Amino acid sequence: MRKLTKGIVPIMALALVAAACGGDDDTTSATDAPVVTDAPDTTDAPDTTDAPDTTDAPDETTAVTSPPPAAEIATDYGVTDDIIRVGLNADLSGIFAPLVTQIVAGQEAFWEIVNDNGGIAGRQVELEILDNAYDVPTHLENYAEMADTGDTGVIMFSQSTGSPHTAATAADLVKDNLLAIPLSWYSGWADPSIGANVMELYTSYCLEAMNGVEYLAGANNATTIGIVSFPGEYGQDGATGAKTAAAALGLEVVYDGEGAVVPGSDQTPVITELVAANPDIVWATLNPTTLAEILGGAYAQGLRAHWSGNSPSWNYQLLATDLGPIADEVYTHSTYTALWGAIDTTGMNAVIDGMRAKQPDAVLSDTYIISWTEGMATKAVLEQAAANGDMTRAGVVAALQDVQVDFQGLAPDQTWSGEPNDFIVRESYLYDVDIASYTAGATVSDEGGTGFVLLEGPYVGDIAANYDFQGACFVAG
Amino acid sequence: MAKLKLNFSEPSHVIGVSLLIGGVIFSVYELVHDPDIFVTTLLKSLALGSVYAILALGFVLIFKATEVVNFSQGSIAMIGALFISFMVADENLPIVGFFWEIKNPIYSLGGPEWLMWTLSVLVALCFAAMLGLVIERLAIRPMIGEPLFSVAVITLGLEIVLRGFANDTVKIQYRNINAPWGTGGFKIGSGFVNWSYFAAMIVAAIAFVAVFFFYRSRMGIAMRAVAHDQEAAMAQGINIGKVFAIAWGAGAVLAALGGLFATQPPVRQTGAVDPEVSLVAFRALPAVILGGLDSVQGALIGGLIVGTAEIYAGQYLSGQTAWLGSGYPLIVPYFVMIIGLLVRPYGLFGTPEIRRV
Repeated sequence: MRKLTKGIVPIMALALVAAACGGDDDTTSATDAPVVTDAPDTTDAPDTTDAPDTTDAPDETTAVTSPPPAAEIATDYGVTDDIIRVGLNADLSGIFAPLVTQIVAGQEAFWEIVNDNGGIAGRQVELEILDNAYDVPTHLENYAEMADTGDTGVIMFSQSTGSPHTAATAADLVKDNLLAIPLSWYSGWADPSIGANVMELYTSYCLEAMNGVEYLAGANNATTIGIVSFPGEYGQDGATGAKTAAAALGLEVVYDGEGAVVPGSDQTPVITELVAANPDIVWATLNPTTLAEILGGAYAQGLRAHWSGNSPSWNYQLLATDLGPIADEVYTHSTYTALWGAIDTTGMNAVIDGMRAKQPDAVLSDTYIISWTEGMATKAVLEQAAANGDMTRAGVVAALQDVQVDFQGLAPDQTWSGEPNDFIVRESYLYDVDIASYTAGATVSDEGGTGFVLLEGPYVGDIAANYDFQGACFVAG
Repeated sequence: MAKLKLNFSEPSHVIGVSLLIGGVIFSVYELVHDPDIFVTTLLKSLALGSVYAILALGFVLIFKATEVVNFSQGSIAMIGALFISFMVADENLPIVGFFWEIKNPIYSLGGPEWLMWTLSVLVALCFAAMLGLVIERLAIRPMIGEPLFSVAVITLGLEIVLRGFANDTVKIQYRNINAPWGTGGFKIGSGFVNWSYFAAMIVAAIAFVAVFFFYRSRMGIAMRAVAHDQEAAMAQGINIGKVFAIAWGAGAVLAALGGLFATQPPVRQTGAVDPEVSLVAFRALPAVILGGLDSVQGALIGGLIVGTAEIYAGQYLSGQTAWLGSGYPLIVPYFVMIIGLLVRPYGLFGTPEIRRV
């Protein structure tokens, strides 16, 4: 008993500590709201014409004047005369770490190039990167550190990984006058009551699912559908979009697994129910490992449905695993952007050249497109703020209304002004997963592929095109 | 092992026996009603139970020798699987790309693919053992005589450090294990059985037989003596440091084997190492507690019980998620553990301590 007690006491103690930490939802945001002084009236921002002269830097703004001299630009936190500090609250060790670590690495390359070309408004951009481990309390702790008005404070977030994580900071973003680009495509970000200071890039999970289901049903003459998703803003936003499309198309939902998939759990219940329902198509809103478990398990038990899912469900590196041939046969990848080398545009060439120059040994990946577009959007809004003469946090938030980003073919161009129905992105991209187009172990310097063949894109189906945005598709109870 | 005396005035004993009887009746019914699914579920649960048992055995070996619950077992499992992947897929171990590469010469010798794979795995297990030895020497041995809670927290810190190292430095992403049995298998009616199920069961059997005989060797007896009373063992001239080192080395090998099978069905379908592999050790923890922290046979039985409960609950309660919640398979191992501990507070095969009153 002595040994048992000695063994169990630490376990129980640690469990209690973990439970206590996990249950603490209090946000320790910066208590001192930034005091903005000398901020110019952003409503009178001048009409802008040409981008600043940054010949080799990624250039995406279509309407920004040259910034005023550095001394005339108002600043508060995260900006000095020499540097601009940009934050990334990113999942570097959690369930999306394989994707997010690459995206962060790509952003580092992007900003290195920007800095080589003079930075923004004469200042070098420094990245403050913290790991949220896909854990909401950790995300909140990181947020508090970066929203700080001291040395660790940032001007804005060029990445905030996770839907529930970003949602947990949404109110604080408004309170702290901070802007954040979510690595999340929750439909609620376009709703000012949810995501006032959240600068969503590309389309949403919900609209992506509508496009995906419409395409998949048409391509496979489907009459039945199964839906599997994580619980929460990510999983259930995608599942809601899939159900909306199913209803519009008259598809019977023979397995409704909205929120039924718990990460880390044995997926036997979901696989059993899915196989018994035997749908023609399946829409998944999962992560790659869980998708592999359910897709592989269901396939092994004889389910031959055609599958697709929201973008984060798939990782092309699954093609190197035992799941590769199965995915090649049954999976269609849906996503928000062009993929590595799939098109020949200025933006794509900039990504490829930039990664080869700055990180030649980096693993070949499509995630660098997200890195670049996150960077382009961040750069555009910061340059707009500089052009407005106001690089305070509030000035950056205000600049969002003036900015228009040309992603140079990497993704649909975007603005964030007006009503959500005017600016939400409805297009997505659909790719056939093709194992023959996959180059295992390739780096960005190689002429390899990530295992995709473009089917449609930018693609918008009738359902998404006619969708009237009245708010988030899914709101957690 | 102390004999179990049932006392039906104890509610926990009534619950335990009722669940056992209910389980038997249910099993007979399902066996008659749908034998294909029942048999495939049984094989799947034995496979998962075997994986848990291998991991539990690693916990037990270390605990028996050092009285420390090794919370870094999950990360060691992941890194052990990573060693295997390097050896069989890349045919070298880049330590870790920083200093030099250690070539795996086995594939250059030629021979049947399964044999080269097996030998390469054995080499990788040697590296896993070395990792265990290094951890013991650098982080555990200096703590001899210090509070066990502090040592347990050190292993928790090691878990975070090792996982961070694997994620950030090695950047593990679906590194293939190239297991010779692949994802293949066979169908029994409408059920499917992977070959990996049998591989897990066979390896678990070999591991337990090896440990059984090890405990009867000279070093094994020394380890049991240390487990019983460290001071008395030292007085008899037993080298405690050596015993600790062997326990950690063997524990790391078992963790690596657990990591290998954590990439295979029924745990994973990818056959590849990813960061989530490390979490499987925490899924095995209820099996360790249920079987008894200091019991080898407890690790086996605990692993099989927990694996069986998890898979059967997943299979046969899948239509009840409306009220059970979709994540109920996560809870099942802990539920079984609690019931088991209520009946036998020191675990099914754990050593009860006799106190003088």
